[in-house]
Amino acid sequence: MVSTGSGNAVSTAHDGERYVEGARVIEHMPASLNAVPPSRYYLWLMAPALIVLAAISIYPFFWLIWMSLQNVGAGPEVEFVGLKNFIKLWSDDKFWMGWILLFKYSFFCMFFEITIGVFLAVVLNGHRFENILITIFLMPMMMAPAIAGLVWYYLFNSTFGWYHWLFQSLGILGETSIIGSTETAMAGIVMVDIWQWTPLITLITLAGMKRVPRDQLEANMVDGASAIRNFIAITLPNIYPFLLIAIMLRFMDNFRFIDVIMRLTGGGPAEVTKVLPVYLFDVSFVYFKLGRGSAIALTLLIVTIIFGKLLVKVFESPASKRIDQGN
Amino acid sequence: MASVTITNVWKYYGKTVAVKDLNITCNDGEFVSVLGPSGCGKSSTLRMLAGLEHISAGDIHFGDTRVNDLEPKDRDIAMVFENYALYPHKTVYENMANPLRLRGESEDLIKKRIAFAAEMLEIEHLLQRKPMELSGGQKQRTAIGRAIVREPKLFLFDEPIAHLDAKLRARMRGELKLMQRRLGTTMIYVTHDQLEAMSMADRIAVMHNGVLQQFGTPQDIYNHPVNEWVAGFVGEPPMNFIDCDIVDEGGKLHAVHSSFKVALTEGHAKLLNGALRDKSVRMGIRPDQISISVGSGSGVDGRIKLTEPLGGDTLVNVDLKGADQVLVKTNPDFSGAMDQACTLTFDTSRWHFFSKETGVAYF
Amino acid sequence: MASRDVVAYKTPLSRIWNIFTVVFIAFYLLWTLLPLMIMFFSSFKDLLAAFQLPPVGAFSKIGLFFDFTPTTKHYYNLFVNLGFSTYFANSIISAGGSAIISVVLGSMCAYALSRYEFRGKPDLFFWIISTRMAPVVAVLVPLYAIFRGADLIGTKAGLILAFTTFNLPFAIWILKGFFDNVPYAIEEASMVDGSTRFQAFRAILPLVAPGIGAFVILCILFAWNDFLFSSIIGSGGAKTLPPATVQLVQPQNIQWGSIMAAGVVTTLPMMFLGLLIRRYLVTGLTMGAVRE
Repeated sequence: MVSTGSGNAVSTAHDGERYVEGARVIEHMPASLNAVPPSRYYLWLMAPALIVLAAISIYPFFWLIWMSLQNVGAGPEVEFVGLKNFIKLWSDDKFWMGWILLFKYSFFCMFFEITIGVFLAVVLNGHRFENILITIFLMPMMMAPAIAGLVWYYLFNSTFGWYHWLFQSLGILGETSIIGSTETAMAGIVMVDIWQWTPLITLITLAGMKRVPRDQLEANMVDGASAIRNFIAITLPNIYPFLLIAIMLRFMDNFRFIDVIMRLTGGGPAEVTKVLPVYLFDVSFVYFKLGRGSAIALTLLIVTIIFGKLLVKVFESPASKRIDQGN
Repeated sequence: MASVTITNVWKYYGKTVAVKDLNITCNDGEFVSVLGPSGCGKSSTLRMLAGLEHISAGDIHFGDTRVNDLEPKDRDIAMVFENYALYPHKTVYENMANPLRLRGESEDLIKKRIAFAAEMLEIEHLLQRKPMELSGGQKQRTAIGRAIVREPKLFLFDEPIAHLDAKLRARMRGELKLMQRRLGTTMIYVTHDQLEAMSMADRIAVMHNGVLQQFGTPQDIYNHPVNEWVAGFVGEPPMNFIDCDIVDEGGKLHAVHSSFKVALTEGHAKLLNGALRDKSVRMGIRPDQISISVGSGSGVDGRIKLTEPLGGDTLVNVDLKGADQVLVKTNPDFSGAMDQACTLTFDTSRWHFFSKETGVAYF
Repeated sequence: MASRDVVAYKTPLSRIWNIFTVVFIAFYLLWTLLPLMIMFFSSFKDLLAAFQLPPVGAFSKIGLFFDFTPTTKHYYNLFVNLGFSTYFANSIISAGGSAIISVVLGSMCAYALSRYEFRGKPDLFFWIISTRMAPVVAVLVPLYAIFRGADLIGTKAGLILAFTTFNLPFAIWILKGFFDNVPYAIEEASMVDGSTRFQAFRAILPLVAPGIGAFVILCILFAWNDFLFSSIIGSGGAKTLPPATVQLVQPQNIQWGSIMAAGVVTTLPMMFLGLLIRRYLVTGLTMGAVRE
């Protein structure tokens, strides 16, 4: 044991007791462990939410798998067809076109929203009216996408739409409305997405810019950098993780919501805007081919989950740890 | 009020062991400090006492009651946390009233207790403020206030003044000690700062890597460290360690180093004779137990490497022959210059010898 | 935040830049507000006035837009003839109900997730959030099947549950971030003070209350603006504003005045709420990844 005072004058190492770097160490194990009292407290707190979630996510998932193996016609009869639905999808041009269009649509949205959004953030950062302006810019985001689709449908109308009149007056368009022509329809739906969601990019970028360490900017300035160089060398790398998150979130939203496209073009004209979720909607709710619809839904879900995994990785990356520290 | 008995206590976090086979008994009304570097298991010990952590093995008793399975609320303890852990949305008054409210005490009693505590802690003028409007020292006083209004059996303090500035810390040390003496409540005080432990505690438990190294009064720990680690950890500036040989010359034991040969006192020689396993030992001596004079003389020859005047004292780094170096604490008038020869005299009555192999003290 | 901007110096280039920023902001302001303005004004226009456009290229006649006698008949029509008061109530009840359920269950679950370490926690967490990410169209069919089986189609209860599918994971995810930021020591202090574990949980709720309030509102916003769930699950007895508005689009007779009025009725409350929780908007819309 340990000497507890001057009384024990000489203390040498006992048998079974070891010393490392001049300090006593213990290498034996406790004779027995105390029982850990069962704690279901946290489990009880989680249970209600998890049960609700399981009911509305696990069951539908297996339902989808089951249904994707069936052939469901207009009538009540259901026939097990194995992987036939998936095999059919493989040679379904509309299915592949849906994916291509979805990525095309997402890419255009992202490209313009990031370009305009970041630029807007640069212009607004530190602006005298930054707060008022950004609040106004946020307004379209509060609008239901379905309503936004309707309003823009009205604006694009070739006989009484003010935007159509403007395009015509500027010589950009002829008689046909922007969403009525196969060449411009994609631009039309992208435009609405830009209108609604560019401010989100701006907001995220602004939040990132407030976090750019001032000393880095100042050190770079003292080193002789111009404002533009400062932006490229210091600000951009600092807001990069924020932008990455913004891009992924918008990307997933483009998978999730089809309200605007449904209102504006319904996938037309000539299916140039029939992105995959719209195609899925048609198959399931217009043609009621639930088996094939389930197969499509599964592919969409799986791609979303892969994206989600990436997104969570970005959330948990060291770069975004930096985001949290600023708080 | 109660005594606290920690018997063969272990703490596991998964596979890592934070506390190993800990045995401490502290008496009713005693101020015990648990001292050690971060990661030594001192906080885990305190949290097991508080009931915030499960005790993996062993028992803890308050008085005669085994508290292993009691929830914190049933242990009749009060704790002050390192980061104060005040309720940010409540005023100082409400923060202090909370433990009493939870026990359903009357408003009259609450008022009386808070008035008493606030007066003792000199925070009467802050009672209606919220934690955000307080300085670090005031927050800390509030946290202590919340602990003392309870009049608990046991105080548990977890590095309560670690985040205050040096001046305030010095003042709080005195105040806390005084407060504990006045209230007479058993106190267990965890700290990594030896100055706090030395100045306040009745007894100190020194821990390292989850293992209790020594448990004794501050004087004990300082004057009779049981092993090299404790000797090096306690004391500022730290103890000098020099390897030397024990040589028997004409019936007298001497400590022999390439730059000195110093005779042991008779008492020490007697203690060493039976226990010595090897003729090579590690000598330890505190910087203030060496005296220094400029020029060569009869003593240990050295060469001044560096002097650091600190105002009240002067620290002198001295090179000995061979590769060894010692730090000497001397008076501010010392006027040695760099590279000057000097002579050291060891206070042989107060030096220490440790086993070179294990680090255990011979005396 | 007093001087968060790095010092700037005036150069000829910076002057050009300044002029450019003013022009850009003015243009973006117009771009943002024009659709909202046209919606707002059109909702007060007679059908004929709403369809009036200047000749192509005649920019000088742009004032024609303001050339109308305001009428509130579309609003009257909406609420008196088209049953929008019912839809409005449906929206409030189903969005509010789902928001409250999501945040109550969500905060309990989030708290446990924040405080309790266990094996497989990251996987559980990912499963929770993936239910939120799932494309609505993909889960709509199976949910419809389940809800029909439970006789929930066209009921407000069904709609509340449907909205909960995306609001609950959102609430769990984001509130966990909030609880993570509350130091555990406060609950420990509370337990040492004499509270039970559940009382300790309640003791820290005031600390996250502003956040919780904001996310109740955000959940309302998500549910209110939903179209697909409410048009399929809610069809029949529990129609909310967006599908009700869309239904005003009929092949022969598109009632643009009423549609615009319905747009205003649907959008204005959400803009007001958005303004109210402006501070939490970034956090909410980025799933908690970005904080302002």
